[in-house]
Amino acid sequence: MTETSVSSPPAHELPAADDPRLKDTWARRQLIVLVVGVAVLACLPLVLGEQGESVAIRTLIFAIMAVGWNLMSGFGGMFSFGHAAFFGIGAYTGAYLLVDHGISPWISMIVAAVLSAAVGVTIAYLCLRYKLAGSYFALATFAFAQMFLLIVQNLDVLNKTEGFNVEILPSDSWSMLQFQQGSPLYFWIPLAILAVAVLISILYVRSRAGQYAQAVRDDEVAASSLGIDTMRARLIAVALSCGITAVAGVYYTQYYFFVGPEQAFGSAVSVEAIIPAVIGGIGTIWGPVIGAAVVGPLSELVATVLRNPPGFLSFLQGTSGLDVAVYATLLIIIVIVMPKGIFGTIRDRWRS
Amino acid sequence: MKKIASVVTALVVAGGLAACSGSDGGSSDSSTITIGSIHPTSGALAGVGGLMDDGAKLAVADINAAGGIKALDGAKLKLSSGDSQGKAEVGQSEAQRLIGDGAVALVGTYQSDVTQNVAAVAERGRVPFVIDVAVDDKILDQGYKYSFRVQPDATSMGTSGAESLAKIGEDSGTPITSVAYLHIEGAFGDSVFKAFEKEAAKQGITAVKEITYPATNFSDATTQVREAAASNPDVIVATGYFPDGVLIAKAVSELKPDIRGLYGIANGAFDDGSFPQASGASGQEVLSANYHYDANSKRVGDIRTRFEKKYGKPMETASILSYQAVEVIAAGLEKSGSDDPEELREAISGIEIDDPLLAFGGPITFDERGQNKNATVIVMQIQDDAVEQVFPKDFATKDLVFPVGSNG
Repeated sequence: MTETSVSSPPAHELPAADDPRLKDTWARRQLIVLVVGVAVLACLPLVLGEQGESVAIRTLIFAIMAVGWNLMSGFGGMFSFGHAAFFGIGAYTGAYLLVDHGISPWISMIVAAVLSAAVGVTIAYLCLRYKLAGSYFALATFAFAQMFLLIVQNLDVLNKTEGFNVEILPSDSWSMLQFQQGSPLYFWIPLAILAVAVLISILYVRSRAGQYAQAVRDDEVAASSLGIDTMRARLIAVALSCGITAVAGVYYTQYYFFVGPEQAFGSAVSVEAIIPAVIGGIGTIWGPVIGAAVVGPLSELVATVLRNPPGFLSFLQGTSGLDVAVYATLLIIIVIVMPKGIFGTIRDRWRS
Repeated sequence: MKKIASVVTALVVAGGLAACSGSDGGSSDSSTITIGSIHPTSGALAGVGGLMDDGAKLAVADINAAGGIKALDGAKLKLSSGDSQGKAEVGQSEAQRLIGDGAVALVGTYQSDVTQNVAAVAERGRVPFVIDVAVDDKILDQGYKYSFRVQPDATSMGTSGAESLAKIGEDSGTPITSVAYLHIEGAFGDSVFKAFEKEAAKQGITAVKEITYPATNFSDATTQVREAAASNPDVIVATGYFPDGVLIAKAVSELKPDIRGLYGIANGAFDDGSFPQASGASGQEVLSANYHYDANSKRVGDIRTRFEKKYGKPMETASILSYQAVEVIAAGLEKSGSDDPEELREAISGIEIDDPLLAFGGPITFDERGQNKNATVIVMQIQDDAVEQVFPKDFATKDLVFPVGSNG
């Protein structure tokens, strides 16, 4: 994992920002893909069984996190290895406000996004202020995530190691974001959140702030010599990234009815934010989404195949842990064969 | 345009992939009844998870061999296994899959956080869930109606662990007054310790020093044991899982603090059949207060013998609990005479099962929270490389040696 994997097309291939026609076609194309994609995915609950749906929901939560992570680390070039911190802030804000104060998760989403963005900006400011770059920045974010884990485990007000259980309501409630188990709404809501997150990515990449952030990522010295406020450009990327990731956390608590320190702040969570983006393509709009669609259902698919294997695989029946092996192999192959991720590599093939 | 088309294609393909993983409709004709079993059969806990899954399988095979569910015209049981991978959210989707495939009841899951999620699924899916192993009190504090637990909870284990320790001290002629308590960080260690501390004060154990160690990357217990020894306690108490338990036993035998014994409560190592081998000389005469299979029971001996023959591994307590949980469900089916989950829940909530496989103080029967009222701990001790039951007398297989080393 080096910074060189963060890439963008050579300058002469990018549409010039001041040419309105070009700019429009790019943004318009992305928006059309977004609308069509959402429309297609919205039909999924109609064909999935209840368990298939729960896997799809887990995948959507990964995707929202990965899109968030990608804003800061892909477009902003600040590699975060501690996104669990922001996911956890979301999960715990939602849990605390709901369980102890009866506040609707819809409100928690906004509160958590603002809180998480503030925390993220503070951390990033400290790291950048003291010139931590590359792997040192990544390690610092990792350390912060671990610190939050320890703090939560020792705070009485956050139930220490016990975590929070969301109360099960007797009937559906929009305001409390709780429905019958297996309701397609549980799928459509995170799908809508993901759509908004992708929309924010598209608009951000096209905006002045986003262009600045990418310029700073590609060459900080050049960018600041042209008068770009590098710190500000980077902190905007961080704020958006942490806000989106926190919303994924709020939804997690709501859907799973339970969150503990390990589920919110564990280092596995940070990895789950990174992997889809790496597999799909760092620093691309669609990479994190495609990566999540590949990684999310993977272990479930392997397990399903192994439960009733086709004839030639019958010797594998009942083995467990094979999904992890497949997952690892896929990861290695993708990193070797497609260093820019699935989406990034395919896109570059077309362009040439 | 070509690019849009291909992105859409990619999305559709991804959707298709996800769709493939949908349930393929578990057929449950009237003569088979499906029970879902959720354990960590892959990942770090795969060893114990696999044993527990096998324990549930053996119970199903035994019940079927004995003629199935008689109240339902000899209907046969079928076990569908799910793998939680040790993760709460995976456990949740496995529970949904099994219920979707027509499971009328669930057993699981070994870990408290996974069990919390599965309990919520069972509650919302209105399917009874019999918890074989999971210690946290909080699981049943939600007021769930569909969850039942066979083993004692953290509070009762911490409490009776303290009672037994005080009693053992008195019986030896010198009461125990000070303890250093080592426990793993997290809900499990915290909750057992809290209960112990409360009861210890009542029992005259006035000085209790708490020392915690991390749940991950714990590779040497010397520092913690040295800290424990510094307070000059009568006894060092330890609560945790298998690997850390072995490390603690080794550190104690290396540092040789002046204590009257090392005493585990709800400890995943000190009464495990493979502990004497893993710890060697350092495991000798280590004490352990825990739930345990009843070594004096003929029925248990028979089940354990057949298990070892069939699966090639000794059947540990966790695995026996999975077997017992399936028996609870079978007894519920017999009692209700129906495979409707609602009626099954009714039946289980009022059930009374004599001759439990565990060394409990009475039949298995559930209070309004779903907790087995008669679940108790007993005290074991490693003697001559074997786990022996030593306290209380009713369950003893060997005499207690306390303070340790007093046998010369």
